[in-house]
Amino acid sequence: MTLSVTGLRVAHGANEVLHGLDLTVARDELLVVLGPSGAGKSTLLRAVAGLTPVSAGRVTIRDRDVTRLRPGQRNVAMVFQSYALFPHLTTAENIAFGLIVRDMPKAEATERARRAAVTVGCGHLLDRRPGQLSGGERQRVALARALVREPDVFLLDEPLSNLDAELRVEMRAELKALHARVGGATLHVTHDQVEALVLGDRIAVLREGRIEQVGTPDEIWHAPATTFVARFIGSPPMNLLPSGGPLSGLAPPGTLIGIRPGALRLGDQGTPARVERIEVVGEDAHVYLRLGEHSAVARVPAAERPASDETHVTVRDGKVHVFDPSTGKRA
Amino acid sequence: MKAPQENAPLRSTFPRGPRVRRQLGFMLAPYAVGLVALVLLPAAATLVLAFADYDLVQPPQWTGTENFTELAGDGIFRTALFNSLVFAAVAVPLRLLIALGLALLLHRRARGVGTARTAAALPAAVPEVAYGLLWLWLFNPLYGPINQLLRVGGENGLTALGRTPPQWLTDPTDARAAIIIMSLFTVGESFLVLLAARLVLPPEVYELAAVEDATGWDVFRRITLPLIAPVLGLLLVRDTILSFQVSFVPALVVTDGGPPPYATTYLSLFVYRNAFEYLRYGYASAATMVMLVLTVAAVILQWRLLRRWR
Repeated sequence: MTLSVTGLRVAHGANEVLHGLDLTVARDELLVVLGPSGAGKSTLLRAVAGLTPVSAGRVTIRDRDVTRLRPGQRNVAMVFQSYALFPHLTTAENIAFGLIVRDMPKAEATERARRAAVTVGCGHLLDRRPGQLSGGERQRVALARALVREPDVFLLDEPLSNLDAELRVEMRAELKALHARVGGATLHVTHDQVEALVLGDRIAVLREGRIEQVGTPDEIWHAPATTFVARFIGSPPMNLLPSGGPLSGLAPPGTLIGIRPGALRLGDQGTPARVERIEVVGEDAHVYLRLGEHSAVARVPAAERPASDETHVTVRDGKVHVFDPSTGKRA
Repeated sequence: MKAPQENAPLRSTFPRGPRVRRQLGFMLAPYAVGLVALVLLPAAATLVLAFADYDLVQPPQWTGTENFTELAGDGIFRTALFNSLVFAAVAVPLRLLIALGLALLLHRRARGVGTARTAAALPAAVPEVAYGLLWLWLFNPLYGPINQLLRVGGENGLTALGRTPPQWLTDPTDARAAIIIMSLFTVGESFLVLLAARLVLPPEVYELAAVEDATGWDVFRRITLPLIAPVLGLLLVRDTILSFQVSFVPALVVTDGGPPPYATTYLSLFVYRNAFEYLRYGYASAATMVMLVLTVAAVILQWRLLRRWR
């Protein structure tokens, strides 16, 4: 493993933020750490970088224990959410910064910076300053700066979150292509589930400083390990209902059933439900339902949304997840 | 209700019209009156008087450029000019360095930093005359604490190195040094401005520097200094302008322009003496004009150097 985190604990004063995390990132793997705000994603990244001290546990990079080493000795590169470009330096100088401060001859550093810039598609911006660049261009420069030193691990802290929706989609694809081309162990932090599903070779879902599940995007989507993961991934979130509730007979008694909104079918047959409201989102409609004393949401084609307040609900075959209601874990 | 537009230009929402203009004019009036009465009119009077002979009793006599010709041959004026230039050349960079050092030292959160910041800023808030009187005691060659401290470890009134302690108030070089030393503690304003400038620098660039293994010197040279250079440049210009004025009260209260030969007579004190003690308002006005020209020249030179450097 290129990066390994074992029993990692981080505390801010008396408040423990990470509660003994175990995580590994293989060579050339892109692991996305996904979680809501305050889950400890950035803290994990900063602890790996050495910017936040750890209270317990170990961080190893290529079998070298770096837990007590200062950030500059860990051979990691970081892309910050704000990109952290130096406003007074040109693109070339920004990219070459890490090489220059490590006393590399200027000509060699400039040549390597140029090559890195070409790799990420900003070779034509070398003489410009950050103030003259667009958001996407700044992001490319930040990526080139991370690439230029050929580090053991790339740490990306929500690198797409400052971009507008259209550019984010474009850069997401470019980031994936770049990783496929360049490789390198990458720890990518985001709160955007789509970004995680699209980019990640594996995803680690973090909640309140603990890992809920680590798996491939398919595993996370099709077999969520907990109710938290089940509801965090997917929009609208997965419906959770007691097995003995309105949609009974789908799972053993005493369990919790999870049904994605797309797995609910509306029509003339099945359990009667009252339509509380409908949100049309382009081709889809999100239909918010009242099933007795429970709520649920169904995603149906907008053209097939119910015309009246009353409808009936059925579940597509094999689309039910079963959870233990006491632990929230997959049964 | 129509939602307010974010980031809409101020002009589009700012009320206009004769009534608003009247209100704005009314609010601006006290400042405008003060500016005209206390700055522009005295400046115009000074410019006119620089070409006249005036003693407050007789009406002003037009003398053309006679005052400037006399200044050129006046040994005391040349000494005052030299003293002022030396003060500016030594005190201004030192004051900026100290303010910058304090700002970089005290920008972090740590125990006692709040107290230290207050201590650094406080001397600038002390009234100038009180500040001067305090230093008169501190610099006293016999019982002043500075020389007492310098005599620690020495014998027969000498320092530990066997030298005579500085004669702050009686030796010309020591007296010039004393006035500069006094000015080094009133850097509160520059310190606060630089502290604010340092605090608003984004922490990510420093974290990035740490990840890239930049040394403290690299961080200072390649990040901090270039990023606060505009503020430093502004303070350099401002302090140079002020340097012709801040030496006035210390020179008057602590050294009285001496010791001979006029070791701490600066342009400001020269002007004061000629105007208010010798009642030579025309001559003092001419010296003031020279001071103004020098200040403007220094500011233009610095500005050009800074622009070229950036």
